[in-house]
Amino acid sequence: MSTPDTNLPSADTPVEVALPVSAAARQSTLKTMLVLIRREFWEHRALWITPLIVGGLLVLTAFPIHLGNDVVFGAHPADFASAENRLGLFTLILWGQSLPQYLVMVIVVSFYLLDCLYLERKDRSILFWKSMPVSDAHTVISKLLVAVVVVPLGVYLTAMVSGVLFQAIWTARTAFGSLPHITVGWDTLAWLKVQALMFYGLIVSMLWYAPMAAFLLLVSAWARKNVFLWATLPPVIAIIVERAAFGTRYTADLLKYRSWTGIWDALLEQPITPEMGHGRVVSLADLFDNIPMSKAFLNVDLWLGLVVAALLVFAAIRIRRYRDDT
Amino acid sequence: MTAVIEARGLKKSYGSTTAVDSVSFAIQPGRIVGLIGPNGAGKTTLFKAILGLTQFDGELRVLGRDPRSERNELMQDVCFIADVAVLPRWLRVSQALDFVGGVHPRFDRSRAADFLAKTDIKMSSRVRELSKGMITQLHLALILAIDARLLVLDEPTLGLDLLFRRQFYDTLLNDYFDKQRTIVLTTHQVEEIENLLTDVIFINRGHVVMESAVDALPERYLQLTVNAENAAQARQLGPFYEREVFGRVAMFFEGRTAAELSSIANGLGEMRTPSVADLFVAKMQARGS
Repeated sequence: MSTPDTNLPSADTPVEVALPVSAAARQSTLKTMLVLIRREFWEHRALWITPLIVGGLLVLTAFPIHLGNDVVFGAHPADFASAENRLGLFTLILWGQSLPQYLVMVIVVSFYLLDCLYLERKDRSILFWKSMPVSDAHTVISKLLVAVVVVPLGVYLTAMVSGVLFQAIWTARTAFGSLPHITVGWDTLAWLKVQALMFYGLIVSMLWYAPMAAFLLLVSAWARKNVFLWATLPPVIAIIVERAAFGTRYTADLLKYRSWTGIWDALLEQPITPEMGHGRVVSLADLFDNIPMSKAFLNVDLWLGLVVAALLVFAAIRIRRYRDDT
Repeated sequence: MTAVIEARGLKKSYGSTTAVDSVSFAIQPGRIVGLIGPNGAGKTTLFKAILGLTQFDGELRVLGRDPRSERNELMQDVCFIADVAVLPRWLRVSQALDFVGGVHPRFDRSRAADFLAKTDIKMSSRVRELSKGMITQLHLALILAIDARLLVLDEPTLGLDLLFRRQFYDTLLNDYFDKQRTIVLTTHQVEEIENLLTDVIFINRGHVVMESAVDALPERYLQLTVNAENAAQARQLGPFYEREVFGRVAMFFEGRTAAELSSIANGLGEMRTPSVADLFVAKMQARGS
């Protein structure tokens, strides 16, 4: 009896009871999505405040950093004699300057994912959200999009702007003589290449980490309390049990692969090693020229991860659909 | 006309506990129906089933739709206040209007704003800054501005003082209700809403105990209040429940009209149609004994 009838005969369709929705009043999925995404930023203000603060702080670091002539990132000053190496340093600073912003973002977004479907049950506001004509699929997917697409793109833009401001301050300081000349080198083409490279890396990261995001979302939808523990303890316990029972470490390896090493394999042809300090600075602009962009998208593990992500999201939607607020 | 809600053999268990047991009833359009039952009677479960918030067995049609499979379509025509204080505390009043306006095709923002303008609620306030009464007013403002066919209210005035409660129902009746709409509500303050209801459904331990239009109650139920010395004689008439009130005995009869009883019971005591509240108590106690 409880099987949901998907294809009802037209005789069962309520014509006389339900008001017809006029074409103008009909709700588009896109509009609903935009409202839902906006809603997330109302509730979870850390999602937009934190990146702005971190980006702003990183711009400010352009002021106090004092570089001596002798040591720059472990390199000899002589290394910077060549324009090529100066350009390399320029690209690495752009990259290194955006890195903390992404790291903070990962933390903020992880906690957001754990909270987003849990808090609405905790404060029972789910009963209000559910009184609106919004499907559970739309709701859950909007939250995933916020975490995996909207916030990362926002951080990308913040990092871009803060990188430009940072460079502007350094250029000004160099011009006034408070920084050695080795650091200069605004290069628009190199800057564009770094942005393109980081955008590519960002897109691959979104896809690569989607299953992790989906897992956190599922925990958020499922756990009755202690979402953080439910997200972290099972993997740890799985590792320990596997170690004790079989003496193997597949779980640990898998986690390490999915959380860190795997994406580099997907992105790069060979593991990147810091080749600085030995006369050559890796230029990210060169990397952009040489990196095979299709490689990551041909990575089987990336697509397998997306299949897993889809399953986890589907499970989260089902759970939200029928979970009581109690 | 097609029933707004039609349940046949509706059943829902939580583990070994049966919350709703093969319940059948129908609610017609343009009615204000009180779903009345003691705590744990299954009211909330029934509401959750109607609103598609829970799985269940049996047949249930709300506005002709199955709430299990067509929840999203249904929610365009159904509004509900599940409880007080379910509006998220971080939400600003203006955001609430933006959100509902953004996702609900039948929301009339100016109507909600007009209603709010008559209250002390400021657009920039967050829900957490509002009193309980104001939160209910805000929720009411959102609901009133939605052109829905069915409004479901589960204890909408719980924890509110008398003034807010009265205002809530007045607004509902004057500004919202018309013959095109249907309201189904539960409350523990039955006395306060008696005059509002057109229909009552009594529910106890997962069963529908009584389903009646309020207009039809006089034909079905009678309360005879007699002095103690007449009690034995009146008892012969077969009341289904009796209770003592100030030394007199109130007896409740079912299925015997006043006209029929008055010829026999004339002079024994006073006859009247029991109030919904008294009838509820009688029905519940009679069952329980």
